[in-house]
Amino acid sequence: MKLLHQVPRNALVWIIIAQFTLVAPHAGRVPTWILLLYLFAALWRIQVYRGQWSFPGRWVKAVMMLSGFAGIYFSYSSLIGLEPTVALLLTAFALKLIETVARKDVYVLIFLAYFVCITEFLFTQDLLIVGYSLLNVIVITTALVALHQPGEHQFNRRTIRLAGVMVLQAVPLMLVLFFLFPRIGPLWTVPVKSHAAKTGISDFMKPGDIANLSQSADVAFRVQFEGEIPDKSQLYWRGLVFSKLEEGAWTNLGYFDIPAKQRRTVIVDTIGDPLRYSIIMEPTQQNWLFGLRHAVPDRPGILVAPDFRLYSLVVIEDDFRYSVESWPEAPLETKLSSWRREVELRLPAGDNPRTRELANAMRLEAGSDREFVDAALERFNVEPFVYTLKPPLLPDSNPMDAFLFDTLRGFCEHYAYAFVVMMRAAGVPARVVAGYQGGEINPVNRTVVVHQFDAHAWAEVWLPGEGWVRVDPTASVAPERIEMGLEDAVAEEGTFLAESPLSPLRYRSIRWLNQLRLRYDALTYRWQSWVVGFDGKVQFDLLRDVFGEVSAGRFAAALIGAWALVLIPVALSLLRKRDTRPRRPLDREYLRVCDRLEAAGYPRRAGESAAHYATRISQACPAWAAPLEQITALYNTCSYEGLSSGETSEVAKSFYRAARGFRPRRCDSDIATAGPEFDS
Amino acid sequence: MHLQGVIDKAVAEVGRILLGKEGQIRLALCCLFARGHLLIEDLPGMGKTTLSHALADVLGLSWKRVQFTSDLLPADILGVSVYNSKDASFSFHPGPIFTQLLLADEINRTTPRTQSALLEAMAEGQVTVEGETRALPDPFFVIATQNPIHQSGTYPLPESQLDRFLMRLELGYPHASAEREMLLRQHSASNDRVQLTRCIDSEQLDAIRRAVAEVHASENLLDYLQRLVAYTRESAEFAVGLSPRGALALLDCTKTWAVMHNRGHVVPEDLQMVLPAVASHRLLPAGDYAGDGTALVALLQRNVDVIRA
Repeated sequence: MKLLHQVPRNALVWIIIAQFTLVAPHAGRVPTWILLLYLFAALWRIQVYRGQWSFPGRWVKAVMMLSGFAGIYFSYSSLIGLEPTVALLLTAFALKLIETVARKDVYVLIFLAYFVCITEFLFTQDLLIVGYSLLNVIVITTALVALHQPGEHQFNRRTIRLAGVMVLQAVPLMLVLFFLFPRIGPLWTVPVKSHAAKTGISDFMKPGDIANLSQSADVAFRVQFEGEIPDKSQLYWRGLVFSKLEEGAWTNLGYFDIPAKQRRTVIVDTIGDPLRYSIIMEPTQQNWLFGLRHAVPDRPGILVAPDFRLYSLVVIEDDFRYSVESWPEAPLETKLSSWRREVELRLPAGDNPRTRELANAMRLEAGSDREFVDAALERFNVEPFVYTLKPPLLPDSNPMDAFLFDTLRGFCEHYAYAFVVMMRAAGVPARVVAGYQGGEINPVNRTVVVHQFDAHAWAEVWLPGEGWVRVDPTASVAPERIEMGLEDAVAEEGTFLAESPLSPLRYRSIRWLNQLRLRYDALTYRWQSWVVGFDGKVQFDLLRDVFGEVSAGRFAAALIGAWALVLIPVALSLLRKRDTRPRRPLDREYLRVCDRLEAAGYPRRAGESAAHYATRISQACPAWAAPLEQITALYNTCSYEGLSSGETSEVAKSFYRAARGFRPRRCDSDIATAGPEFDS
Repeated sequence: MHLQGVIDKAVAEVGRILLGKEGQIRLALCCLFARGHLLIEDLPGMGKTTLSHALADVLGLSWKRVQFTSDLLPADILGVSVYNSKDASFSFHPGPIFTQLLLADEINRTTPRTQSALLEAMAEGQVTVEGETRALPDPFFVIATQNPIHQSGTYPLPESQLDRFLMRLELGYPHASAEREMLLRQHSASNDRVQLTRCIDSEQLDAIRRAVAEVHASENLLDYLQRLVAYTRESAEFAVGLSPRGALALLDCTKTWAVMHNRGHVVPEDLQMVLPAVASHRLLPAGDYAGDGTALVALLQRNVDVIRA
């Protein structure tokens, strides 16, 4: 093969490195055999390079390709969907290495590598992944640079430095495109992540669910308040409202559970001062959103359900940002429809007889519904109930009887469950609300970070004249859960994040580590709000603020203008002379003399030596002859005579003196036309 | 220093018969002082042979002249063994190359075979005939003349052999005043060759050599030289840049030139003076560049500044 078409050794090494660094973040998502395929492909290609093995034949390639397809089909039981297609791309990327014979194949591989690099963002947009991808881009670009340095056979730091410089130069262009390129809607849709796990609280609740969630230190969402942050004990982030109790599990009312007439949004009298805040949610693969009561969303696509919870029309697959106004004092549904009353009172027939008996007796003793609620909470407080992350298992039949009278150990969902059963049994409409309670206030940027372990369940009861009122039975059992958070509530038990030993949240007592964690979290918030959340709407608003009115023409002008702003300095720096090595101070001083002479009308010619220049100027302008000849002689002595360093510095001093004192004014006589005698 | 006087005298002596060509005479002497071979290229009748003769005279060297023709064979230059019937043995009859200064007239009129025989001797300083190696006298100089290559009946020297010549000179037409003087003198002195007096003996030649070895070339100057050389290698106008041998030759000539002007160190003007003669025959223009070697050197001097800017 011609040398011209051969793959340079360094390019091959770099592209193999790039393959491994690219597949690494996918490692947790793809089947193991794909990772082994990468090792196998690299081994094969290296053996080919060493002349031990040969390139695969046409049939071998066909078999490998078909096996790849089959492997993905068996691993995912589908070829359609996000994960299988990405796995297909990764498989093709690995196999392509084995058939990189000539340079043109490496180009294909490199462009494929850039594409593979992007696929990572289909799964996560974390700040760390962005940094890692930037490194990947540098590695790929290094392979591209090495491809154009065919003579190199040793590792060359220049290659990677050049690639780094190229990537850095591309960053301003990237920013211009990011901020100004029109965000047109997707031309095609990426298939849904069919295999991604749903996270966060789920749409049905059994005792034990939330205790499991409490073991996760993942962030659920981050909140930025416009004004003061309310007290932590007031931060009840409503997510789901469970009105239906069937087969021991609470579920929320589905769309078809609600009669058509009841589906419209209930009008709420908004009284009192609203709280304004924006929330950035981590992807949950679910469609419900969180907000303090009573939440009013700021944009279409987010709706308020008849039970006053927020939900999105689409599943939250990426970081999702929305702004909310909450009216904490607004009464909710002061008039209850008969259908709603019936739903919120319904209990499975014959369930939990001892609980019903107790509730009825307590209701008879109490004068009003309000007093009955207080009595029930009092009971939770006085009786020896224990708040624990490790409650004993409850029997399937009559679980609340067992909980209230036998075990007395439970987590928030147990208390909410038992409380609502008691209310409903005594004829008071009540329901379970699931969401998050509290959150960590990050002092760095004043955001509230809500983690999965802040997940909570509480109750709402309907009282005549007041509407739905929030009641948290957990607060009666373990007030510190609400005041301080979960960590303090289970401090004695030592079960806080017991299953996440590496989570930095466990080491909050180490000061600097905690500071670091909080700072990184603040950075993540900025990243999410400025970069990930920068969608078409934000872009439109930004451009409208800057340019007044947004039109296609202005968009194009802004794009081209910003682009030019970035490229013109680059072009100018290329126009400048390539050699920027610092000159000797002596030369610099001499060139200053030349500049002065040029300003006086006598530029030094290209390639003219100092002596020739002095001769020419002296002929043209005899007045300058003496100082100029002195300067030139001293300069030449310093530059070309083999003096000792001491002598040189002496001569240099007098040169500097003479050079700085030489101030030519305009000379009247004509410049001599005789140039240096180059020809023999 | 007396060397300077000796050199000036030699230049003046040669100038007696080659009028108005002091620059070329000095360069030719510089080449011989640097122990290099000299190539003089010009049209017929420009005084190439006259210059060669004059140089041989002032240096007081034994010299021989070979007129190169298309049927000249290597043996005609190197010598031949002849059978002696008296004592029934071969005896070697040395050719004209066994001399201190060889004038190879119109070297490009002979075949490459003969050219290469001469050029090999130039490079090695010795001749191998019939398996026996014979050293050439010391000093050994070749002054070759050639016609411009586009003339008919010439075999152009390949680059590798051009490289063996330290300098290439072009004489050019004389000035009108010099030509007038020549015409006047021709009228009175008929065709007899003027015998020039020897100005430089072999000891003085050695002294010049020793002085050259002691000349100081500063960092700045070497920097300038290297940038010149680098430019010929990188710039698009040049098909072939200066070789390391070319760079060495350039420095050697520059130092010799400095000695000839009575200086213990080299200045950029020295380099600029010898550059066209040393570099022009070693440079080849790239395909689409119209100029010849001389034009390339002018381009080189224009584009590489003496002071790094």
